[in-house]
Amino acid sequence: MLRGGLAVAARGETYLSVLVEVTSMAATTHGIGGLTFDPKKRELPPELGVALALVLIVVVFEVLGRLLMGDSFLFNTREGASGFLNTARLEIIILQVSIIGIIAIGVTQVIITGGIDLSSGSIVGATAMIAMSFAQAGDIYGNPNTRAVFIDAGLVDLPLIVPLIVGAVCGIVAGGINGLLIAYTKIPPFIATLGMMVTARGVAKWWTRGQPVSFPTESYAAIGLGLMPVFIFAVIAIIFALALKYTIYGKHTYAIGSNEAAARMSGIKVARHKVLVYTIAGLLAAVAAIVLSAKNLTAQAGMGMMYELDAIAMAVIGGVSLSGGRGSILGTVLGALIFGVIISGFTFLRLDAYYQEMVKGAIIVGAVVLDQWRQRYGASKA
Amino acid sequence: MFKSTLSAAVILVSGLSTGALAQTDVSVSMTAFDNPFLTIIRTAMEEEADLLGDVTLNIEDAQVDVARQLDQVNRFIANGADAIVVNAVDGNSTLALTKAAKEAGVPLVYVNHPPFDLDQLPEGTTFVGSNEIDSGTMQTKEVCDLLGGKGKVLVIMGPLESHASLTRTKDIHDVIATPECSGMEVVEEQTANWKRGEAQDLMTNWLTSGVEFDAVIANNDEMAIGAILAMKSVGMNMNDVVVAGIDATRDGLSALEAGGLDVTVYQNAKRQGEVALEAAKRMANGESVDRAIWVPFEPSPEEISNNIAKAPTISTRND
Repeated sequence: MLRGGLAVAARGETYLSVLVEVTSMAATTHGIGGLTFDPKKRELPPELGVALALVLIVVVFEVLGRLLMGDSFLFNTREGASGFLNTARLEIIILQVSIIGIIAIGVTQVIITGGIDLSSGSIVGATAMIAMSFAQAGDIYGNPNTRAVFIDAGLVDLPLIVPLIVGAVCGIVAGGINGLLIAYTKIPPFIATLGMMVTARGVAKWWTRGQPVSFPTESYAAIGLGLMPVFIFAVIAIIFALALKYTIYGKHTYAIGSNEAAARMSGIKVARHKVLVYTIAGLLAAVAAIVLSAKNLTAQAGMGMMYELDAIAMAVIGGVSLSGGRGSILGTVLGALIFGVIISGFTFLRLDAYYQEMVKGAIIVGAVVLDQWRQRYGASKA
Repeated sequence: MFKSTLSAAVILVSGLSTGALAQTDVSVSMTAFDNPFLTIIRTAMEEEADLLGDVTLNIEDAQVDVARQLDQVNRFIANGADAIVVNAVDGNSTLALTKAAKEAGVPLVYVNHPPFDLDQLPEGTTFVGSNEIDSGTMQTKEVCDLLGGKGKVLVIMGPLESHASLTRTKDIHDVIATPECSGMEVVEEQTANWKRGEAQDLMTNWLTSGVEFDAVIANNDEMAIGAILAMKSVGMNMNDVVVAGIDATRDGLSALEAGGLDVTVYQNAKRQGEVALEAAKRMANGESVDRAIWVPFEPSPEEISNNIAKAPTISTRND
């Protein structure tokens, strides 16, 4: 009977409505609207609002560009440029957010369960250092790479699979520890992942005593070449968008975030599922680390600093609720694109670096305020 | 430059350049906006751009993040920059930057921090900076003179991964290996990561463990000042010991006047910024420049003081 309820549910809140009826629990949590499901009262998908915001921001940059710079943001106006659209700019818009976007996909799932992950940036740093040290080339411009980490052991020019497995293990271990701490010691996710944030950064610095790790093999560098990061981001986004929407994994993730007690009572193994979600987040941070170090052809102990906050901001701008149970991968991808458009737009308008951060901060807060209004309005309507 | 902006609208408009005709668009990625020494370079570029008149400058902050720097360079290319200036976050992370600019055919000027492959930079890429071999060599020769060619030396290094720190330290050993200075000997050598506080702790540890020495050679002024503070706090007579730094920062020069610091070497950050911008403009106009353009270090304290007096930018900005 419960499984039937799960199958009916398409989204977290509708699932909760069914669940609450089934378990006869009179719980109203997290600002969720009516307790009964009425298809006619379903609001427009929140992603639509985010998509509109994205279009609006692009239009603003296009208009400002034409007024102030005499140049177009999206289209080719320069002499000698080929093609209708400015593809170089469109590429960099997506390319520069695709790596943090990969992290944001993991973070989105954590936030949907009602948790938070502050450790992803540090996991990126540690994984980049460790994975890259197994991916170093034996020579640079024909000279032996004497500064390679494992040169004494002869561990250079290893096959690509070695750094990939090492990196994946790093992410799974770090994410798994996060999940186990949160699920079984019951400490708040904020504290558990804060601890991991500090620890993993320590690991990143300790691994080579602060020395950067550079000069990867060609096969490793290929992971970050050209639009490869965008491709990886897209594949991961599609996989998890489908998983959240159409699998039991997804239903359980929304159910835990909507009402953990109800989820537990309906037979979901909450602790085990949380470990899984945090482990996936760790693994995705590790994937981001590999793509990042391959793209930059170097790994540094400070890499990924503050990425966790950008990833959380992308999810939140994309309509993922920090109180859990609401949000989608599509929203987060749109949130990431808004980020990319804003950063590229600032550079396009030659906005002084001093103002860039001020405006970026205001946009993040503004997006969440708007989302709160939208939620409240939506709730009172229902 | 745009200091008196008040309303958001004014901020937005004044933050934008005017995109006039025949302007050379030079985009710059700096390692950090909050580093006093690098701020001198950045300000010098802004002033030089105002002076030249036909250069539109666009400076962004990489916030000590190599990935952010690469994204910035890619955005500059997408924006159709005529030339790019990069103050590299790390000398080993420049390969991807050089490749991106070369593939796009945009001239690239590295300033201050040399790329690891300095002697293999491709056509259309250049480096403007000071030769670190000069700074450490000048510094140590000066110390050698003051000591009369013999004495025990403590060395305070910058970060172990820093090119400048490693080169400056190697210079010290190279000078000591020359016949005139062969009476000198390095008794201790440790890092204090460019930081005054760390150098103070390190020096205090040396003092309490009873290390005997005649000179302290630090890779920069901040660490030399840290060592001086530690020695003063135990009541040492600063006339008995030779202390040397590099950079001639504002604080370094004050310490020089106050008598604690005996030697510093002036790294001409202002000139580096000016030369970098000039090189970028020339390359954007199709001229070719040398693979490396050296801005000389300047040794004597009197010269330094004169230079500071002549260059108000440095004395006001470097605090």
